[in-house]
Amino acid sequence: MSRAPKAPERKNARPGTSKGSAPADRPAPTPAAARVLWMPLALTMGLALLAFLPRVQANASLSWSFRAAVAGLLVWQGVLLLRMRNAPAAPQLAVTLRANHYVQVVVQLALFAYWGWYWRPIYDQAGLIAAQLLFGYAFQMLLAWSRGEPYRLGFGPIPIIFSINIFLWFRDDWFYLQFLMVAVGLLGKDLLLWHREGRMRHIFNPSAFTLTLFSIALIATNATDLTRGSELASTLTLAPNFYTLMFLAGLVHMYLFSITLMSAVAAATIFGLSAWYAGLTGVPYFIDSEIPAAVFLGLHLLFTDPATSPRTALGKALFGVLYGLGVFASYEWLNALGAPTFYDKLLCVPLLNLIVPAIDRAVRSAPLRLPWQLHWSPMTANLAWMAVWIAFFGAMTAAGKTDGRHVGDSLPFWERACESGRRHACQTLIQIETSYCADNSGWACNELGRHYMEGTLVAPDREQALTLFARACEGRFQPGCLNLLAPDTPQTANPRALDLRLLLRERGLNLMEMAEPDLYARACEHGWAFACERRAGGLP
Amino acid sequence: MTRRGVAAAAARYLLASSLALGGGAGGAGAPRPGMEAVLGAQAPSPAVAFPDFVEIPGGPFVMGADPATDPSAFDNERWSPAQGTGTVEASTFYLARHEVTVAQFAAFARASSWRVDPQALAGPPSHPVAFVSWPDALAYCRWLEGEVRRAPEAPARVKQLLAEGWRVTLPTEAEWEKGARGTDGRRYPWGSEPRRDRANYENRGTAAVGTYPCPECPYGLADMSGNVWEWTGSPYQPYPYDASDDRANLEADALWVMRGGSFGDQARQVRGSTRGAADPGARRAFIGFRVALVKR
Repeated sequence: MSRAPKAPERKNARPGTSKGSAPADRPAPTPAAARVLWMPLALTMGLALLAFLPRVQANASLSWSFRAAVAGLLVWQGVLLLRMRNAPAAPQLAVTLRANHYVQVVVQLALFAYWGWYWRPIYDQAGLIAAQLLFGYAFQMLLAWSRGEPYRLGFGPIPIIFSINIFLWFRDDWFYLQFLMVAVGLLGKDLLLWHREGRMRHIFNPSAFTLTLFSIALIATNATDLTRGSELASTLTLAPNFYTLMFLAGLVHMYLFSITLMSAVAAATIFGLSAWYAGLTGVPYFIDSEIPAAVFLGLHLLFTDPATSPRTALGKALFGVLYGLGVFASYEWLNALGAPTFYDKLLCVPLLNLIVPAIDRAVRSAPLRLPWQLHWSPMTANLAWMAVWIAFFGAMTAAGKTDGRHVGDSLPFWERACESGRRHACQTLIQIETSYCADNSGWACNELGRHYMEGTLVAPDREQALTLFARACEGRFQPGCLNLLAPDTPQTANPRALDLRLLLRERGLNLMEMAEPDLYARACEHGWAFACERRAGGLP
Repeated sequence: MTRRGVAAAAARYLLASSLALGGGAGGAGAPRPGMEAVLGAQAPSPAVAFPDFVEIPGGPFVMGADPATDPSAFDNERWSPAQGTGTVEASTFYLARHEVTVAQFAAFARASSWRVDPQALAGPPSHPVAFVSWPDALAYCRWLEGEVRRAPEAPARVKQLLAEGWRVTLPTEAEWEKGARGTDGRRYPWGSEPRRDRANYENRGTAAVGTYPCPECPYGLADMSGNVWEWTGSPYQPYPYDASDDRANLEADALWVMRGGSFGDQARQVRGSTRGAADPGARRAFIGFRVALVKR
């Protein structure tokens, strides 16, 4: 790896500049400075206008984040203007539309639209995402011109910003960190470069780079609560048939950009490791799926950037295997740390980006050279791999390993697994109950409170237990109230219908309108003995 | 006993049995001197204004009201289809003379990590705290008990009671009703007729605790009628009340009894036997609480 070389070398090597580049990437004729500097100013004004959104106005911290971003951009433009007075070179602008950018934008927009239909905060976030786009474009323009380089106007920043927003949002009170995350991603793309295949290329996948840096900081400071990352990871499956949708959208990417081997091999690796783990321990590795929805999304939209991944077929396959192993290992590591596991899909990507040249070298070396050669064109080979991937995904779906019900969806399954001493089962049970308690299931809060009071599954913590009993009580779960009066002998009861509507959602179904007989039938299928008895007794 | 006689007896009783934790015995009509010290700007943090506990002696009392004989009574106050009122035996306990104030609750909020509604701390310091849920009230009781055990300035008698197994908690609805009505089944803490000079009701907001003097009240407790509804430690269940089975149906949604009516209620709602109930998570401008010292 090398740091960014000096400007003349870079100019010579980068596409879109005067020497050594393809004619299609050459910048358009340079307009006068005044004719292009209105663009970042207009974008900044657009950002300032978005600060008048009711949501921004309603939160002082959010409003200040916008003001700070606008002020920062304006100051930067002022400094740039002053510099240009002393230097005759005018900022240059070229329009460069790349298919991999706009196709990804279409896929990401489709994902947001579908996901948001079932989880409304996505739509509510639209204004804040638009603000990041305006900020990102202005930031990248000013960065390019400050470095004396032409700015290539295209769709480039959009997939980066969308990708960031698919995986991590800072809460409104901390939104300035979201702008910072966008800035770091764009800085990483434009400043951290190396020579690869005769050109200067960015080293890191820009969105994964910034997401990983911020993830590490959040894990290290135990500050995940500042974000809505956990919600983002867990609400994808509120959208029915999410895996099938991502699979179909992924096929478009695979067809156009030959990423099939990376995505498919990564998916197969994770599916395989999950199956191996479940066979060994009797419990699923990823709690309620063979491959978490957010990971499935990540292996289609996060780590497959062609610019930061290997070029050869074997290299891509190896890259996919390593991503699968990386996700698997990250999940275990995060679990061991007691950190939120949704970071699993992010952490290994920059590391993989760094070893791409080593992978390329390795697959060209004698030991890894395949003894046989397929004399197919790259397009034919890609189609063949796509056919294999379609068959594999079809088989997994037929086996109920994607969108169907999963054994880990059942809370009684984890209770039994915990009693039987299965690996991590008690830890998972606590994790699931914590999640349902956060969803306002009084039953789940009371169960958690009991565990903290009794200290059998977790270290005893009386204060935590009382807080959980209070939460259960405020959720109108009567044993929670009684446990506040007499915490040393905690009581429990079966989940109420309201609790069941939360506990039986599997991966996000809305059961709030489900008739009670159907609800109890579903509870019985999930292994709730009292629900089966209730049905047998003829009660609704 | 005449009204004057009752007042004199109550005054004598107060002098004899009041556990004045915040400073002298004092009357029912004024905030405690100790509390004044805490409420003042110069009060050092984290000073705790200990409640002024009043002893309610053990013995039977009349609970409930019969709508057939008392037109102001609600149906849920009737003891049973066959009986208008009931007689309940209550053991000796202590009830705070005043509702917990904003200042007292603020001391708790400062000293603990319990999350409270900011609106609970927004009222005048000497007014009853409101915007507290049922668990908030119990959390305050637990904290106060710890403070009493720890604080050297807490009266030895209360420390001794705690050492003997007594607890600071919410009164049951039976204890609350006995504290409000005494043993003679009166409608209001001061007698049988509503009096606007005795309680804060049909009004626009809370008043400082103890603003309304009540020399006729059986135990000298302030604001047992009006000001804010007071949470009790009893789940809402139909009468007849059974102290030995004061437990809720575990399967039903929780609903807890509150008593005394509030500043915004009519005279009918601020009677000693009126039973209110609320979702335990409710934080409202008209719901507060007072603490009890009990042996259970």
